[in-house]
Amino acid sequence: MDFLGAFTPDNLIFLLKGFYVTLKVAFISIIFSFIIGGALGTIRFTKIPIVSNIAAVLVETIRNLPLLLIILFTYFALPEIGINLGITVSAIVALTIFESAMLAEIVRGGLISIEKGQMEAARSSGLSYIQALRLVILPQALRRMVPNLVSQFISLLKDTSLAVVIALPELLHHAKIIQAQELSYVIPIFLLIALMYFVVNFALSLIAKRLELKSA
Amino acid sequence: MISFGHVNKYYGDFHVLKDIDLTIKTGEVVVIIGPSGSGKSTLLRCINRLETITDGSLTVKDVHLNDKKTDINKVRRKIGMVFQHFNLYPHKTVLENIMLAPINALGISKEEAKKTAEFYLDKVGIPDKATSFPSQLSGGQQQRVAIARGLAMKPEIMLFDEPTSALDPEMVGEVLDVMKALAEEGMTMVVVTHEMGFAKEVGDRIVFIDQGKILEEAAPVEFFENPKEERAQVFLSRILNH
Ligand SMILES: Nc1ncnc2c1ncn2[C@@H]1O[C@H](COP(=O)(O)OP(=O)(O)O)[C@@H](O)[C@H]1O
Ligand SMILES: [Mg+2]
Repeated sequence: MDFLGAFTPDNLIFLLKGFYVTLKVAFISIIFSFIIGGALGTIRFTKIPIVSNIAAVLVETIRNLPLLLIILFTYFALPEIGINLGITVSAIVALTIFESAMLAEIVRGGLISIEKGQMEAARSSGLSYIQALRLVILPQALRRMVPNLVSQFISLLKDTSLAVVIALPELLHHAKIIQAQELSYVIPIFLLIALMYFVVNFALSLIAKRLELKSA
Repeated sequence: MISFGHVNKYYGDFHVLKDIDLTIKTGEVVVIIGPSGSGKSTLLRCINRLETITDGSLTVKDVHLNDKKTDINKVRRKIGMVFQHFNLYPHKTVLENIMLAPINALGISKEEAKKTAEFYLDKVGIPDKATSFPSQLSGGQQQRVAIARGLAMKPEIMLFDEPTSALDPEMVGEVLDVMKALAEEGMTMVVVTHEMGFAKEVGDRIVFIDQGKILEEAAPVEFFENPKEERAQVFLSRILNH
């Protein structure tokens, strides 16, 4: 097997381009899903009638669907009703929908984990419910959520590879193109992209550990 | 200042407060005692509507707490509360803990809030802990910060729910001293406690509650020397021989 032969400059650049798309799509989806998931999780936590129930139904529905289905739906089904998002946006939308639901549960769990006395102390000092949430409960909950959030971000980064089914030009897609040229490239290219995913995700989890130690 | 009129409260089917009639005057220190589970905390927490009453009337400064139109946040700004487990905000420094409500609920400036916070921290005897986090303080110090946090709102009423029950014995005194000083300055106080020495010395009136009912209400000397109710006698003998 011609191991090093697979790593031509062209191939390496092509893989890096794919990895760039992976990181870009993941990053954008993380930002959006953090905002949407944070809002959904908080709304569900508040138990405000109707609004909170709607959030719960949304979250539970999405959480129980396979991500692959959501990606395929966004790309193949939405155009049927006139919504044509294109490959990249479809991938971002699908990932954002799915991850928002996952993050909503993490955020809600973090909020629930804060002792009841914190809310009572804040409210009894005359702060409104929203103020108590914003100034007292959320900051503490976010600190507690860091490890779970980061591991969800890592999942998201890995899940980006599922968008290979709609030919998103991300790392796995580019790897498959290279592998199709030459059978002997299959193993070395797989090993290389495995290393790329690993390095980034492992770095993220190290950062998470750091943050965890700091906030403890 | 505070007036309960035929107040009942249920948790589901459980009748936790039974026909409570109680009036607390400005500047009075009322000590609520009674066995565990008798409804002391619930009674206290009704005063700032951490718990809502089921029926009857409850007014604070002539404002009806169970009136839907009442702006409860406004009422609460006049009532400080100190909890058994301090409930300080762990992510904020001591000074930030004290400044949070004055800035956000009263809308006063940061500089002003800081001055007030430092004043009350000095008053409870730990001016040097301003930049510490709660986790770096002893239980007694944390509870004194909690009292300073309540006072920084310049309340007219202070509620205490077993403020020394979670403390190591050697720290009980420092917290009771702060409360005693507060009482001497004329603060209206409602205190749930098992510290009978404090009740006797500082209390203007003792309210004995059992199974959600006020069984006896008397001046401390009268209550401790000559409790009328049998259940109060049993309670006292148990707690004093402890
Ligand atoms: N949120 C609640 N739901 C149901 N029962 C409660 C709740 N809070 C307190 N209780 C019950 O009400 C009774 C009085 O409680 P509490 O006021 O905390 O008593 P105390 O402070 O005198 O020990 C207890 O039997 C307690 O179990
Ligand atoms: Mg209690």
